[in-house]
Amino acid sequence: MTRTPRTLVVVGHGMTGHRLVEHLRTHDRHGTWRVVVLAEEPRPAYNRVALSSYLEGRSAADLTLAGPAFLTDPLVDLRTAAPVTGIDRRERTVTTADGTVIPYDALVLATGSRPFVPPVPGHDLPGCFAYRTFDDLDALRAAARAGRPGVVVGGGLLGLEAANALRLLGMRPHVVELAPRLMPLQLDDGGARVLTRLVGGLGLRVHCGTAVRAVRARADGRVGGVTLTDGSALDAELVVFSAGVRPRDDLAGPAGLAGGERGGFLVDGRCRTEDPHIWAVGECAAVQGRTYGLVAPGYRMAELVADQLLGRPAAPFADPDTSAKLKLLGVDVASFGDAHAETEGALEYVLRDDAAGTYAKVVLGPDGRILLGGVLAGDTSAYRTLRALVGREPTAPLDRLLSGAALGGVPPKAHGPAAA
Amino acid sequence: MPASSHVLVVGHGPAGHRLVERLRHHGHRGPVTVLGAEPRPAYNRVLLTSLLGGTLTAGDLELTGPPDGVRVRTGVTVTGIDRARRLVSTDTGETHSYDRLVLATGARPRIPHLPGVFTGGVLTEGATALRTLADCERFADGPVVVLGGGVLGTEATLALLRDGRDVTLVHPGPHLMDDRLDDVAGSLLAGHLRSRGAQLRLGRAAVEYRPGKLALDDGEILRAATLALCTGAEPETALARRAGLSVRTGVVVDRQLRTSDPRVHAIGDCAEFDADAPGLVTTAWEQAETLARILAGRPAHHRPGRPVVRLKAPGIDLACLGPPDPPGATRHVALSDPARGRHARLALSGEHILGAVLIGLPRATAAVGRLYERGLPVPSDLLGLLLGTTSTVGPARVELPDEAVLCHCNHVTKGDLLRARSAGAHDLADIAAATRATTGCGGCADDVRRVLASATGGNGDP
Repeated sequence: MTRTPRTLVVVGHGMTGHRLVEHLRTHDRHGTWRVVVLAEEPRPAYNRVALSSYLEGRSAADLTLAGPAFLTDPLVDLRTAAPVTGIDRRERTVTTADGTVIPYDALVLATGSRPFVPPVPGHDLPGCFAYRTFDDLDALRAAARAGRPGVVVGGGLLGLEAANALRLLGMRPHVVELAPRLMPLQLDDGGARVLTRLVGGLGLRVHCGTAVRAVRARADGRVGGVTLTDGSALDAELVVFSAGVRPRDDLAGPAGLAGGERGGFLVDGRCRTEDPHIWAVGECAAVQGRTYGLVAPGYRMAELVADQLLGRPAAPFADPDTSAKLKLLGVDVASFGDAHAETEGALEYVLRDDAAGTYAKVVLGPDGRILLGGVLAGDTSAYRTLRALVGREPTAPLDRLLSGAALGGVPPKAHGPAAA
Repeated sequence: MPASSHVLVVGHGPAGHRLVERLRHHGHRGPVTVLGAEPRPAYNRVLLTSLLGGTLTAGDLELTGPPDGVRVRTGVTVTGIDRARRLVSTDTGETHSYDRLVLATGARPRIPHLPGVFTGGVLTEGATALRTLADCERFADGPVVVLGGGVLGTEATLALLRDGRDVTLVHPGPHLMDDRLDDVAGSLLAGHLRSRGAQLRLGRAAVEYRPGKLALDDGEILRAATLALCTGAEPETALARRAGLSVRTGVVVDRQLRTSDPRVHAIGDCAEFDADAPGLVTTAWEQAETLARILAGRPAHHRPGRPVVRLKAPGIDLACLGPPDPPGATRHVALSDPARGRHARLALSGEHILGAVLIGLPRATAAVGRLYERGLPVPSDLLGLLLGTTSTVGPARVELPDEAVLCHCNHVTKGDLLRARSAGAHDLADIAAATRATTGCGGCADDVRRVLASATGGNGDP
């Protein structure tokens, strides 16, 4: 067949955009699509989820997702440092910052998100950082001063990774979290208590239930510290903002595309905007109004859109896996499935072992049999098994499955008051 | 001590009654005299709320008459003890001598400092405690306000609602039974009460009482034909104090249940052992049993039992085992099922239960209660234990010795049940008639059924 391939333009080369192109190219046996990928960053997609390992010695090359096969694929035209500035839906073209106009047959928006920086006084002083890109980490490394305190704003997954990064750079990290507990989206109070103790053991100082009111400047104009809403003040050589992200949907308004209530390109359950030629995937997509800040749902969206472009069967996006496991040395916490028991009629089963320093919660369906989700802290050895069982009836008693997690090993004999 | 000494018992409540019954059982042959202040035979105080609910009558509460040779004097209040001459004197001018004196004076209701609650040194019209049959008779027609959301106040509220009364429960704590329950269990219990029609005023204090109405701290005025004061009780120690015996919260006793005078013992709610006066009838019964053995010349000593508090009300299963926050507990297990009104918390050390709260889980309550009372290890499938899905492991198969007490309210052993079974008792009603088992709080019904079934070769589950 000699038909000219149609042109797919992918705006953004993050993990999700990359997965979409990879999936499409793997299954497009007849070369029906030519793909133009427009990356804002000056490098191809990399594993942002493992970004922290960059500070632990892995190189940018170690983390890249674009292998030689991808980079030399004649049907993939990757253009780095080429941010898109506009969409002309009528003409079906996009324009990049240098004025290049690129026509498309199909357009996928995979612009990701940007760190949310609370608009407090001093938030833009020299010494304030985000934690999202290699450039952010390079800047952070250059600014780090061993032995000095640093403040991380946000006690979620990423904030704790950032705080650990400061620790690895020899700094003394503080973590400021607005919610009453760390990792509020993933953990419950019991799990967060264990986490707080564990990160305390790493030297992180945790301040929950308070927020940064202002970033203070030193005489030289750089960050000198922060003032918290509870009135206390912390010295700080630098401040890292990792207080959540916002979808990058700036292209929506000028192009007349609808946005989600909390931002993002509004798409239906198949990730299509109201314009049948335009799709959105990943953190910038508001699927039926809801955005997702994890890579796993983003991958599902990418595969879903690629399959539709190829005319392959594709089930609508539904019930994404929002499981999460914190990746810090010696700090084991994880949550999976319906960790907060939001399912109607769900019941919760909690095991806490103060001697072993572990906490485990499982959420079960109304019949007490189907596993819906849970929280593990202090020991996550049951995480993979339990995550795999979500939506099913465990084949073994949960206590046995959790025994590595909360009962301190099998057989559970070595307990007693003396163990404390 | 000789099994023929003269035992004088002051107080004819559950502790005194159980003591004299068990004295004979253990072979004590000497004279026994009981002096009871209330003008009626001993009755099961624990079931007073059933009387309010109309499910039992005063006659149903009456305990068995004294064994042969036990002299019971009712309506007699002891006014003094002459320990040197071993004599007690009464308000009727009698004196009684003793070889051994047993104080079983119980507890008296704690009346809150509430303006208007007393008039001329006695409770104002319409206000009453809830500790005696006479108190129950003071309940007037019309709306009732129960003050105090502990076990008694909660039971009384449920009982009065069953009787079709208009009841408001006022409790200053954040949730019901907050000395024993966490907030989840407390709110489940509150939901149950509301579903039965109770008006709840939680986190509110009473500020003034006038006949017919009670004012709360937020200005609300509640109509109250009766104000039931369920605000706790304290050991009745006045007599012991006057006699110069060592008294702290209660009358201090050692492992032989002796006071500071070795010829004077104390048991039940008035006694304090190891700085603890739990005020539980099960403790009173254990102490009565132990003292009966001691006074009959058998070797025995008091070991603090495993306190279990059950809410006695149909339609709700609530049990509190052990202290609310047991020291030494390192493992904590919780099951929370608010949609079905079920909640359980266990505090464990290793595999042993140190404390538990269970609500809405009758099977788990029975199983956990057995493991706790007997100090047995929990099975590895704890979730199965709590959900009642474990049928093959653990507690149901534990073989009990014949002397194991199954009905604590009426002190009926497994052996008693088997003898009744051999004598022709086939079902629960027969057993109840023959042994009185299950006629107290009813918490032993499952155990009794199981014993009956195993005696006939069945598997005990309905």
